[in-house]
Amino acid sequence: MTDRTEQLMPQLLPTSLRALIVASSFWFLSLTLTVASGSWAAVLGCVVACYGVDSWIHRSPFERLRISSILGGALVFALLAIALADLFVNTGLFTLLMSPIAVFNSGESIKWFAIGASITVALRSLAHRTSYGAVVEILFVAAAFVITLAAHRNGMIHRPFFIGDYALTRGIDPASILMVFGCGAVLSLAGLLMAENNHRRLPYHFVVLGMLCFSLLFYVRLFGLPTPQLTDDLGLTGQAQEGQNRQRENPFNDGENNTDNEAPVAVVVFRDDYEPLNGSYYFRESAYSQFNGAMLDITRHDGMDQDLIEHFTNSRSDSAQLPPSEEQLTPVRTTIGMLVPHRTPFGLESPIAYENVPNPNNLRFKRTYDAYSLAPEYDFEHLLGRELGREDWSEEVLQEYLTLPDDARYEELARQLIAGLRPEYVDDPFAKAWAIKTYLDENGIYSLKNEHAYEADPAASFLFGDLTGYCMHFAFAAVHMFRSLGIPSRVGIGYAVPAENRGGGSALLIQAVHGHAWPEIYFRDVGWVIVDPAPQQTLVDMTTDPQNNLQQLLGDMLRNDASFDDFLQSQQTSFINLDAVLNTLYALVLAILVAAYLVKGYRLWIPLRSNRDAQYRLSYRAVLDRLAAIGIHRNFGESREQFAARASGTAPSLRELTNSHLACALGTTSASQSDYDWQAARRTIAREIQSSTPGWKRLAGIINPFSWLFSK
Amino acid sequence: MTSDAMPEPDNLAVVGATALANEPSALTEAAGVLKTLMDTVRQQVLGRDDVIELAIIALIADGHILLEDYPGSGKTTLAKALGEAISGGEQVDASIVPFRRIQFTPDLLPSDVTGVPVFDASSNAFHFRHGPLFAHVVLADEINRTSPKVQSAMLEAMGEKQVTVDNVTYPLDQLFFVIATQNPLDLVGTYPLPTPQLDRFLFKIKMDHIDRQAELDVLDSYKERRDMSGRLATVTRDQVLNARKEIEAGVSISPAIKTALVDISRKLREDDRVLQGNSTRSMVLMLPALQVAAALRGRDFVSADDIELLAPRVLGHRVELAPGVADMDKVLRDTMREPMEALARSTLS
Repeated sequence: MTDRTEQLMPQLLPTSLRALIVASSFWFLSLTLTVASGSWAAVLGCVVACYGVDSWIHRSPFERLRISSILGGALVFALLAIALADLFVNTGLFTLLMSPIAVFNSGESIKWFAIGASITVALRSLAHRTSYGAVVEILFVAAAFVITLAAHRNGMIHRPFFIGDYALTRGIDPASILMVFGCGAVLSLAGLLMAENNHRRLPYHFVVLGMLCFSLLFYVRLFGLPTPQLTDDLGLTGQAQEGQNRQRENPFNDGENNTDNEAPVAVVVFRDDYEPLNGSYYFRESAYSQFNGAMLDITRHDGMDQDLIEHFTNSRSDSAQLPPSEEQLTPVRTTIGMLVPHRTPFGLESPIAYENVPNPNNLRFKRTYDAYSLAPEYDFEHLLGRELGREDWSEEVLQEYLTLPDDARYEELARQLIAGLRPEYVDDPFAKAWAIKTYLDENGIYSLKNEHAYEADPAASFLFGDLTGYCMHFAFAAVHMFRSLGIPSRVGIGYAVPAENRGGGSALLIQAVHGHAWPEIYFRDVGWVIVDPAPQQTLVDMTTDPQNNLQQLLGDMLRNDASFDDFLQSQQTSFINLDAVLNTLYALVLAILVAAYLVKGYRLWIPLRSNRDAQYRLSYRAVLDRLAAIGIHRNFGESREQFAARASGTAPSLRELTNSHLACALGTTSASQSDYDWQAARRTIAREIQSSTPGWKRLAGIINPFSWLFSK
Repeated sequence: MTSDAMPEPDNLAVVGATALANEPSALTEAAGVLKTLMDTVRQQVLGRDDVIELAIIALIADGHILLEDYPGSGKTTLAKALGEAISGGEQVDASIVPFRRIQFTPDLLPSDVTGVPVFDASSNAFHFRHGPLFAHVVLADEINRTSPKVQSAMLEAMGEKQVTVDNVTYPLDQLFFVIATQNPLDLVGTYPLPTPQLDRFLFKIKMDHIDRQAELDVLDSYKERRDMSGRLATVTRDQVLNARKEIEAGVSISPAIKTALVDISRKLREDDRVLQGNSTRSMVLMLPALQVAAALRGRDFVSADDIELLAPRVLGHRVELAPGVADMDKVLRDTMREPMEALARSTLS
């Protein structure tokens, strides 16, 4: 009994380690294919099978079974279990007894336990019985990790979540972690298999390991480590398409989408000091200014909206039309990093130039540029008594800014609203606009859900209906009424971010929820002025988490400050530098391979250069190297003569060579006096090996860098 | 009992030349003697080449062998053939004959083996009448059946090459060679040899039944071989003694070989399964045997193969295993593996 335990004890550790490795491969593989209960069942089945096979393989009746019977039995077992699981799930009785979820989980568990167990039994039996089985086992484990990596080449490594999340929050590539796991698993498994008993398998293992290392090395050197491209918005799947498509869509359809409103869209870093007077930072991207017969749209008229900069350029692009004066305007430079691609650049109101700047992190930012703006510093009194329209506008352009749907109700309502103005303001355009804005402020109800989207004129439906809508409705309604009173106006589009979001820092995060539209009026000598209705009643909670950390992080990143690196490093301190470790590993593997080949070559070459005294030793060793390369080497404790007799099937001349070698090594024959032709014998044996050994075996012998380790 | 076969020196030279063609030295001659002996005995004893080889090695290496086998397995034939093969040349002493056989029984007396002084009435004096030990080759059949007293007389003769009767010492021939046998199964009424006495034998050889074809050949050629015995090539006693000297001088033993022998002994003594290891003397005795084995294979140096061949035969009966351990061969194989590996590796360094 004690003997038994003594025999079993040293096996327990390698068996457990192997069970752990193979089981984790199963876990990785099954994650994407089944639910959690199935995965755990697969792991359990694998562990049970590992221990079972390792302890029973050398006992009857397992011992007497042929390998084909074992494989067949495993297959039948797996099929039976799958059928059983199917029956279990599909029979109504069990569903009645337990909950459907429990039945489903049990079914998956049965199925995956059987699959895990049978595949493991097959792998372990092959590894025990055949020489190639060990290689199959290694390849299986390697494949499990490679598939996990490969399936997510273009995205996040999302399963297993805890690894992906752990890595991403620390700024580490999850692929690296999985690679390290995979390499570790394959290497330890290979080590275990080598320790396992049969020394004859060692060459196979070294060839496979060598090839794995080589392929890994070449792959990494050629393509780099597989880096998952981060999604556009740091994992918060936002409206990536928004910037590209919204100009073509009906702007009133926005209300139907209910995607994540907090998704970051861009980050703005203020280079100059600026605080808006009206409580919001407005970023203008575009404008709806020309009435196309149905509604306001982006202008196709060359004379209109010349202040807008429509496209990115690789250098600096200036606005074609500057504000008429810089009075009460302050120049502000901001750096904007877009997290979501936009067709048109946007900048703090009113942008006058954009300049491309180097992207500090092209994984995060789609585009980075400096925006030069002339931001308003005036108060409302500055606008009172102003004339309307720009002096150099043609009559045609002015008319375009005054065109509105053919609906008399706009003017009717507008007139009604301005009727109450005090006499001194009765002709003042800004006062009229303010009256309209005030009406909308007081009566409008802000809501993302509305019924106006499919009306012919949603603005009319809103204004003369329930007055319930969102920024688009307010802006369109306001502009229509302005125009009805002869005030040139347009709908500005972009982002409006509450000033308090900036939180005292110099960075400002723009989120999807900040997308906005507002009415603008052109005052002579001032330029486009935003007169934004702010409904006092709202059905939507528009407050968002300001995400100060993200704002600061992205701002630092965009500023390309050292603080961002500091931040990353502070998150990484607990973790070793993977890149350095990997690079060292590659260098080490490469160095070992090169050294092995050098030694191999040296041992084959040196007999040609050495003097006669050493020939008996060096030539004989070179011949042994050649034989070892094709898998023929002396066993432990075997005498040279016995080995020569054993190898004489492959190289008959080895006996004679061995006798001459021993006569020099053990006898009194002096090596320098022996007239034996060592070189000729070496060549003869090389020829004999060539004629008696298949080509692939010789090729493997040439490739294997460690073959000489086995010649002794 | 003397064979009347003619010595054929010319023939010998030819046979010897094939063994060590490129060594035209004394060693060639020695190898020739071995070859002749081998061929001669082999023609009379079929299917026992391994035993014949070991017997010749022991003969030249000045040792004795103990055969363990069954009645009728060819022991007598072997001993007789070996004795007759050394029958040529002039007799040194008329009292020495090529071959004698002693059947040991419980009632045997030492004088039955050594000889006894008898009173000669005509000369009025005692004359020593030589016992069966005075021969080149003595077959001591069923040595474990006789009393310890006779056994010790026999073993003294084997160790000292002399017999002492009535305080007079009579030397035995230099070529005195004993082939003792014992039946391993039929142990009723026997006096098993204790280990120290077994140490006197160079080899203990277990003989298995010969293979089927050899057995058929034995039946087929039984008659011819009986008639042939007189016509076979023989060697002289002097030739054998010369060969002994030349092999001792001519076959080299490398330090690596001696290291391997010592390491095997040490490992054997350290092994848990071994109660008592082999003596240093056994190693000393083994050296000439290794030399002869090497010469028999046409080598002028001792190699690992010789150790593989002889170590189990030399060590097997000198080692006492711990209670409960039965497989001597396995113990020897295990202990030899490492030193033999070291020996093989030493040739490349």
